Amino acid sequence: MTHAPAFDDEYGAGRRVPSPIARRRRNTELTLVVMAAMITGAAYAVAALGTNAEIPPGIVVFVGILLALLLCAHIVVRLVAGGADGTLLPLAAILHGVGFVMITRLDDRLAGLQATWSLVAIAVFVLTLLFVQRTTLLARYRWLLFLAGALLLLLPMVPGVGQTFNGARIWVSIGPINFQPGEFAKVAFAIFFAAYLADRRELIAARTWKVGPIHLPEPRYIAPIIVAWAFAVVVMIGERDLGSSLLFFTLFVVMMWVATERVGYLLLGVVLFGGAAWFSWSQFDHVQTRVSNWINPWDDPLDKGYQIIQALYGLADGGLLGTGLGRGNPNQVPEAQNDFIFASIGEEFGLFGATAVLMSYVLIVGAGLRIALRTERTFEKLLATGLTTIVGVQAFIIIGGVLKVIPLTGITLPFVSYGGSSLVSNYILLALLIRVSDSAARRLGELPDDPTTGERWQAWRLARQIRRAEKKGEPPAAVAAHDEAGA
Amino acid sequence: MNRAIRQLAVGLMACYVVLFAALNYWQVGQKEELDAKFDNTRAILREFNRPRGNIITEDGVVVAQSLPNTTDENLDFTRDYPTGDLFSNVTGYFTKDFGATQLERTHGDVLVGSTAAQQVRGLGDLLEGNVDNAGSVQLTMRYDAQLAAKFALGGREGSVVVIDPTTGAIIAMFSNPTYDPNTFVGQPFETAQQVITDLQNAPGNPLLANAYQERYMPGSTFKVITTGIGLEAGVLSRETSFPDEREYTPPQTNDPIQNYNGSLCGGDMATVFRRSCNIPFAKTAIELGVERMVEGTRAWGIDEKLPIDLPRAATSTFGNVENLDQQLPLLAIRGFGQSEDQMVPLHMAMVAGAVANGGQMMKPYVIDATYDRAGRVLDRTSPDVWKTPISPQTAALETEFMIGVVESGTASCCLDLAGGIQAAAKTGTAELGIASNPDLSHAWIVAFAPAEAPRFAVAVVLTNVQSTDDVAATGGRLAGPIAEGMLDYLLTGEGARG
Repeated sequence: MTHAPAFDDEYGAGRRVPSPIARRRRNTELTLVVMAAMITGAAYAVAALGTNAEIPPGIVVFVGILLALLLCAHIVVRLVAGGADGTLLPLAAILHGVGFVMITRLDDRLAGLQATWSLVAIAVFVLTLLFVQRTTLLARYRWLLFLAGALLLLLPMVPGVGQTFNGARIWVSIGPINFQPGEFAKVAFAIFFAAYLADRRELIAARTWKVGPIHLPEPRYIAPIIVAWAFAVVVMIGERDLGSSLLFFTLFVVMMWVATERVGYLLLGVVLFGGAAWFSWSQFDHVQTRVSNWINPWDDPLDKGYQIIQALYGLADGGLLGTGLGRGNPNQVPEAQNDFIFASIGEEFGLFGATAVLMSYVLIVGAGLRIALRTERTFEKLLATGLTTIVGVQAFIIIGGVLKVIPLTGITLPFVSYGGSSLVSNYILLALLIRVSDSAARRLGELPDDPTTGERWQAWRLARQIRRAEKKGEPPAAVAAHDEAGA
Repeated sequence: MNRAIRQLAVGLMACYVVLFAALNYWQVGQKEELDAKFDNTRAILREFNRPRGNIITEDGVVVAQSLPNTTDENLDFTRDYPTGDLFSNVTGYFTKDFGATQLERTHGDVLVGSTAAQQVRGLGDLLEGNVDNAGSVQLTMRYDAQLAAKFALGGREGSVVVIDPTTGAIIAMFSNPTYDPNTFVGQPFETAQQVITDLQNAPGNPLLANAYQERYMPGSTFKVITTGIGLEAGVLSRETSFPDEREYTPPQTNDPIQNYNGSLCGGDMATVFRRSCNIPFAKTAIELGVERMVEGTRAWGIDEKLPIDLPRAATSTFGNVENLDQQLPLLAIRGFGQSEDQMVPLHMAMVAGAVANGGQMMKPYVIDATYDRAGRVLDRTSPDVWKTPISPQTAALETEFMIGVVESGTASCCLDLAGGIQAAAKTGTAELGIASNPDLSHAWIVAFAPAEAPRFAVAVVLTNVQSTDDVAATGGRLAGPIAEGMLDYLLTGEGARG
């Protein structure tokens, strides 16, 4: 009985170096990451020149730390996700950089905190990549993640822990730590749904339950979408958080639709959400305020409409080329560093700069969905789709709100807005997307599917058990168990 | 699943195309409209830390200036209005959070020195590190005349306008209720917001200048216009005479029209004008017919925005003229300034001015000239004719009629000018016809003097005045003394020049 080499599979047989295409991706990523750091550093200097008419004294240190952080992230990607798409990290870096410059320019008291959170976010990104080296690991913990997601989502409603801020009860305060659990719940739910639907998508698509002339999937298979809808409604009503509610619901509906390829789910989703939205509009003042503000903010220009009107004035003042960093007055918009950061960018960077930000999101969406198309595994397809949808839809909801395309709902702009929860959760999301991308590249044989650190350690333990067993002459139980599992 | 993922990609792409379109809409398409919104403070904020020049009256009093800011460390300057409420209707206000209005808005570029001419001229200074390029605006209005107008009104609701009929230059223009910009400019945000909100909700709308941003039923002062139209059309002449009547029933109705207080009134043209009978002018309007009457009012600038060099001026109106030929009684009533007729007080001064100026109505203006930092003229207003509603002959005849009003007509009580100077005038008492309060009216007078060589034309209106059993709130009795006071002050009193 021979058991070595344990992980020499059929894909990368005999090849121990990445293909040129995989290597080119990493070099592209390196170049783009350095460019993102340089642009951010330049913007930081320009913003300081614009506001205080002097180059900030710590500019060299700033660029140094920034470069070190991004290079660290890049090197980890190179080491443990060598085949991944090379544009995702730089896109996130430039959005993060522009956001950071804008936040410090709006209120320099926030600079320290946001810098700390940036550090934590990059660290969490690295840790996620290191811990989650196989996507199957995520699928394995689906129910745990579901439970965690549900708890996180409901946490703000717990008395004593939940905090209401600006009308929305989406904050949790435990001791000195404040965070928005919803930002993490969205990632957990995306993973859960990808895993759940990957298992049951055919059963759901089959529609074997007949109610009169209508064919429906078995109730137990559509239960999750009902639960999801219930969650969205709870969030909408219990936490007054319309934006997150819309985001969650869109995520679930899109994943159901992609998994089953049945447009009916999309329509059902629109109807269900429309119904809930209409109900809350007719029942709650704050929803009516949002809608009337959307239709005509100039009805109440000094109070309720003030924020959006000031944002629009800022955008108009920016025009094509912007006022120049530090030269505009984005602070006229309350909460400019948060929900309205896109208006600040439009004001100071102009149409050109704001379009660049829009393009960054389009490119992230493009890269994410390309990953979903490339990978052959259903779970990975759904996961990439879900994660990409989160970023794409979340950015759309808040930018659309700021631009008066849809009613305004408070939600952060991924990678750009101020706030630790948002930054950390989006970097987790980014790491997972990169992980799926790398996994797809390995399946396609673009680079050797080397065993991960965890797998090497398991293999070493297995080999040791075998050696010991052989030494004692006993039947190798662990080996037998492994053979069964691997079969 | 790939098909659905591709469709999702298209869907998300479409979402972002919509965002891109919206971004273009706000940043390019709507840019000018949003930039021009009165509560848009972006341009103001950019200008706020630059020295801003003065607005100065004709007689050299500063009515708007920048002072070093001592309360807010973020701002170098604060705006100050040394004359309080006296010129607020013209200067407007300049705030960080609530926008700018009137000259502070329209001439902000001159005041901070950002016009092209100023920038070119200031280039040398800028190179030397001198960032103060502030220009100034000089008004045609006189501080002393404005003060006289304020005292003459004495806190009553209404407007006083004095113009030079030969140029259109506005010499005084004051109205109540008004506001003092210092009550919110330079105040903390919450205080300022409260004051502005209160002003917006206050009765009579103090933030609007009644003199040129509101319009009121003109009453009999409108007969100057009807007479002018009739004379020009040949329907009226010096010799036209009307029988003594109490009532006249126009076509299409059985409801008769009456004279003021139902009196018996008639005679030749000069007499009916002097006594301000209603029936002759109702008849004139009917005889002219809808088309000539409407055309005639247009020739006086009615239903056209006043061409003043201040933003958001009101438009006088002859009312709705659609199907008016089916409603001839209304035409008859409008012939003597009731029903839907509405005139801007400034416009009424211009009407008197046109008669005084041989039939030429001049464009009204408040800005004499703008200057750069070094005091060199950037732009000087040259007088311009706006309308020529009547010929010099008609003007002479109407002047004669209006002298009659002063000598022995409805203004004989109150327009006897000092120094034997002859004034010409027409009074008006616009009955508002409110069922619950039938005695509420607007009291008007328009006048000019000296009649033979007019230097000043005046319009005075006291709005919403209440008649009592003892005293009728007529234009002659209430508005007349104000016009007299203004003309006396300017022609022979302390304000007289040369």
